[in-house]
Amino acid sequence: MSGDILTMEKGRDELLVALQEAQRKYGYLPEDYMAQLAESLDISLSEVYGVATFYSFLATKPQGKYVIRVCKSVPCYLKEAESMIEFMERELGIKPGETTADGRFTLQLVNCIGACDKPPAMLVNDELHGDLTPGKIKQILSSCK
Amino acid sequence: MKEINVTINGKKVTGREGQTILELAGENGIDIPTLCYHPELPPIGSCRVCVVEVEGSRTLVGSCHTPITEGIVIQTHSPKVLEARKMIVELLLTSHCGNCFMCDKANICELRGLAAELEVGIPRLMGKKRFYPVEDVSPYIVRDLSKCILCRRCVRACREIAKKNIFDVGYRGFDSKIVVDCDRALDKEACRDCEVCTSFCPTGALSKKKEPFKEDKRGKPIVVGAGAPEQDT
Repeated sequence: MSGDILTMEKGRDELLVALQEAQRKYGYLPEDYMAQLAESLDISLSEVYGVATFYSFLATKPQGKYVIRVCKSVPCYLKEAESMIEFMERELGIKPGETTADGRFTLQLVNCIGACDKPPAMLVNDELHGDLTPGKIKQILSSCK
Repeated sequence: MKEINVTINGKKVTGREGQTILELAGENGIDIPTLCYHPELPPIGSCRVCVVEVEGSRTLVGSCHTPITEGIVIQTHSPKVLEARKMIVELLLTSHCGNCFMCDKANICELRGLAAELEVGIPRLMGKKRFYPVEDVSPYIVRDLSKCILCRRCVRACREIAKKNIFDVGYRGFDSKIVVDCDRALDKEACRDCEVCTSFCPTGALSKKKEPFKEDKRGKPIVVGAGAPEQDT
């Protein structure tokens, strides 16, 4: 489908595709965009916002240049994901859900990312990192310029 | 209309095609408790209070949205069902904050009524509470989302009956919440005093804004006991 929201058919069928496209384009979903989209699809803004906030890969606030998504599901949890999260909070100086002041990193906790064979795991933007240790995390973070 | 043979609580009855278990039970005088269900709204089966046991089914099924099929065997009040219903209401109450003594809707609250009916009793479970500040920006409606149980009746009523489509559910899991636009306080031009959502809300989460207190509505004071002045009638 095209990215132009004015050419879309009415109804919620194209909602998710449009949101994903906007997320790629702007890095997050601005409110103006969601309002415009709601109008052109002839659905309520509440519904657009509901879908946007349901998915952890859609953001309603501006994100950092590197979005770190740490898995909080059971296999990673059993392999000390908790302490890796704490380590990252200390390194970055932010809590999950927040973005660093310089706009470089956003830290998020997400459900299973399908890397249960190498827990604890995280995604940095689209790149998967498994078998995390504090040393490895330090290395990854310093390579993110 | 095609007739369908059903066994419900050991009794053989016939229902019509497309009928739900709940509707058939109602026709046969069997009372299944419900919460998110409302006869005027499309069923969504979100609260699970109306679950029943169906022979051969791996899990309990929601009776408000499950159509009957030929030869289906249903138990509406088996020990397993009663236990599940009780636990469901107990869990709803665990995250529900709001003190019934202080709630204006306590006497007509369906959640409270159900808890009494299912003999839920005093809370056994301790868990996180879903707390949100009371929202009274709108001149017509007061929203106290701490009392909301996410039954989505307001969402459906506003969409299907009032045709205004103001609410929807935002976020996910424990953080789920009924949202207006981008999670704003309810204060929309479209939202007038139609009173649809407030009348469909089963708890005290949505209520009509009260008129400012007027003294002339109080009437004469009632004085009781010895020495009370004589009242002219």
